[in-house]
Amino acid sequence: MTTRREVLGGLGAALAVAWGCNRRSAASDDPALPLGPMETRLAIYNWSDYIAPDTVRGFERETGVRVTYDTYESNEEMFAKLQAGASGYDLAVPSSYMLPAMRASNLLAPLHGQYIQGRGAIAPLFRHPPFDPAEQFTVPWQWGITGIAWRRDLVRTAPSDWGIFFDQRWRGRMTMMDDGREVLGAMLKHRGRPLNDAEAASLATAKADAIRAKANLRAYKSAPVKADLIAGDVWIAQLWNGDAAQAALDQPAISFVLPGDGSAIWTDSFVLLRDAPHPRAAHAFLEYILRPDVAAKVADATGYGSPNAPALARQRHPVPYPSPEERSRLEYFEDLGAATELWDRAWTEIKSA
Amino acid sequence: MRRAPRSIVALTTLGFITMHVPVLVLAVFSFNRSRYGASWEGFTLDWYRRLAERPDILAALKVSLVVGGLSTAIATTIGTLFAVGMTRGPRRGAAWLESLVLLPIVTPEIVMGIGLLALFATLGIALGITTIVIAHVAFSIPFVIVVVRARLAGMDRTLEEAAMTLGATGRSAFLKVTLPLLWPGIIAAALLAFTMSIDDFVITFFVAGPGSSTLPLVIYAMARRAVEPSINAVSTLLVAASTLLILGFDRLSPRRGS
Amino acid sequence: MSVLRGRWLLAPGVFWLVAFFAIPVAVLAGTSLMPRGIYGGVTAGFTLEHYSRFLDPLYLGILARTLLLSAICTAICLLAGYPVALGIARSGRWKNLLLFLVILPLWTSFLVRTYAMIFLLRDHGLINETLMALGITSAPLHLLYTRGAVLAGLVYGLLPLMILPLYTSLEKLDPTLLEAAEVLGARPLSRFWRVILPLSLPGTIAGCLLVFIPSLGAFLTPDLLGGAKDMMIGSLIQNQFGPARDWPFGSAASVVVMVVVLVAMLGWLRRRPEVL
Repeated sequence: MTTRREVLGGLGAALAVAWGCNRRSAASDDPALPLGPMETRLAIYNWSDYIAPDTVRGFERETGVRVTYDTYESNEEMFAKLQAGASGYDLAVPSSYMLPAMRASNLLAPLHGQYIQGRGAIAPLFRHPPFDPAEQFTVPWQWGITGIAWRRDLVRTAPSDWGIFFDQRWRGRMTMMDDGREVLGAMLKHRGRPLNDAEAASLATAKADAIRAKANLRAYKSAPVKADLIAGDVWIAQLWNGDAAQAALDQPAISFVLPGDGSAIWTDSFVLLRDAPHPRAAHAFLEYILRPDVAAKVADATGYGSPNAPALARQRHPVPYPSPEERSRLEYFEDLGAATELWDRAWTEIKSA
Repeated sequence: MRRAPRSIVALTTLGFITMHVPVLVLAVFSFNRSRYGASWEGFTLDWYRRLAERPDILAALKVSLVVGGLSTAIATTIGTLFAVGMTRGPRRGAAWLESLVLLPIVTPEIVMGIGLLALFATLGIALGITTIVIAHVAFSIPFVIVVVRARLAGMDRTLEEAAMTLGATGRSAFLKVTLPLLWPGIIAAALLAFTMSIDDFVITFFVAGPGSSTLPLVIYAMARRAVEPSINAVSTLLVAASTLLILGFDRLSPRRGS
Repeated sequence: MSVLRGRWLLAPGVFWLVAFFAIPVAVLAGTSLMPRGIYGGVTAGFTLEHYSRFLDPLYLGILARTLLLSAICTAICLLAGYPVALGIARSGRWKNLLLFLVILPLWTSFLVRTYAMIFLLRDHGLINETLMALGITSAPLHLLYTRGAVLAGLVYGLLPLMILPLYTSLEKLDPTLLEAAEVLGARPLSRFWRVILPLSLPGTIAGCLLVFIPSLGAFLTPDLLGGAKDMMIGSLIQNQFGPARDWPFGSAASVVVMVVVLVAMLGWLRRRPEVL
């Protein structure tokens, strides 16, 4: 009997080991373990218009890896698709506030540090960020701030703060982003409240403010409002700095301003997905994008800020890091956790008003 | 039938203009040299040429064709069999079958789309070309059934019965007499199913996975970013394709009211 | 033997429609009864909280506004579509061509047609440029991103769906009935009101349903043409499956929509649907 139990136990152990080994050499949970050999393919899922035209091609040429590159328009879109499971992607680029949700949904795999040597190029401001202090899961990609893009030729004086959206003079010529976090966040900052406020009373005030502003708005539009700014249909728009920079290339009269009452700063980072089928190639890509020359071209193409310090010197239009004074006015978005429903309801009420 | 009064003719003409002008304008301006604005600045095929350089559009075209082909083949087969079975089958349960066929036609697309998304998520099926095909077949089958049934209803049963009297087996009579007569209706249904597949947006929006964007999904992504003639160009091509397919469908489908 | 054959022929269709239509709707209903997981999915359990949440005036208001917009859209389509259907029915040799011209927009991508509306209505779109060129206006009218634009987009998109069943009904009208009415002294308006209209009722009802139901679930049109300023129930549902990450609540809202659809359909399903 003992013998049988031992045999069974041995079999069981053998099966467990075999099963463990046969699991796709997808990123193992232990980041200290080495990965397998370099794969021949890689699948990347990134925001649209968020890379330089030759970045992927350059990587393919150097490594011989064939890359599938797909895009999304919002964090939620990416999250929803990944949550559905087995997407086949290796890398994605969530914003910082999505990370707790992604981790809780078991979507991320820890990075194997031994394959990523280039982190030294990242500016101290973006090292050990609050959303990933041990730098276990993320490699910063671009950073940006939310502010106000405006037409110098049509609006003589620069908007000074978020209160511009209450100004009746520009009624019908302004837009805010189609994003509850951004709209309510701006209204909260206008009242001196934190960006991620979960308090019902201040949310109610922010909501009332947003409804007041809505009467002056042409539409709720996010990045696509670029075209309207260029065409002159919209004169003042809540927008991200990179998109404003891209629009300014087509219409030099477009300027960007960080509102005096503060705003959001956000970092988008590359993450390794739990079921990544090509982890080794993924790490090679992460190492590749940490190179200053690559990072410089990316930032020039997107118009956003590069967290890669040496890259700034090589850029044609570098976005300078926020000064300490500006940094004091900026806050990161955080996951709202239990307050999500409160915020969502507020946004629904604003939209229904 | 009596001639219609002038007021009716006028209103009818107005109605048709309203229904067609927007797309015609869209098509015309796909050839406009100007990028912004509605002023005509000259004829150009540039916007169409640029489409060929866009990997996202080319990939989407491939996905649309693959999905269209697969879903059409499957839906037409299943739907035709169903239509035949329903026309000849037992009367029992006919009301339920009618409802099962009609409900997808009248259900709002968003409900069907998210229902499928919820189903796939629950079962852990990865979103991709497979899920799109499944969805497209699901909404196409009822339309195939309607078209083929209409054709069957207009057909003369006695021909098949005559063949059987002359010695053919039931199956042989079906294959050699009924099916060839049914064929135009089946092709019409297939053309309709293909059109619906390449044009669908809402349901595809919810069940498409990363890397499996169809042409309408790409158009939507483009339209949300900017209004530019490339969108006009790819939309015009899609409309042209649909027009040709529906022309075929119209020629082959059972004549309504005759 | 033919009975057996009948059943086998039906099987694949029944399977597919049950598996990929009926069951998804059932999954939705089931999801709507489960508590929300913190990051958007569901956790095990049973709860009616999503439905009671829906009974809030905010969400009922969204439903009511959507019903109102759909009703207006249906009314406009009926008023605009009736003469067109009548015109086609009386067009003699042009009938097939005209029918084709009605079917065509129907099977053209709804997305493309919505985008065509954007192109027309924008500040520098054709309508504004024409009005300014003719000197009627001096500055562009803000046509896009208004409730009117959403209504226009819905009517434009759904009008063919009203015309077709109406036409089918009108086409079957026996001309001798009208002649009899004329002989008996009825004037054109009276003939219309008392003969044509009642006899075309099946088609009218079918057309109204075919317009009302899709407009109820619309989210693309309010999003692209309305500037995302108005929340219709379709946008609410889509939002729950997207940014709001509240699948159970979105499912509950969908179930509500389905119930409304079924109630609307009840009257129609009773009468045999000859117009398809």
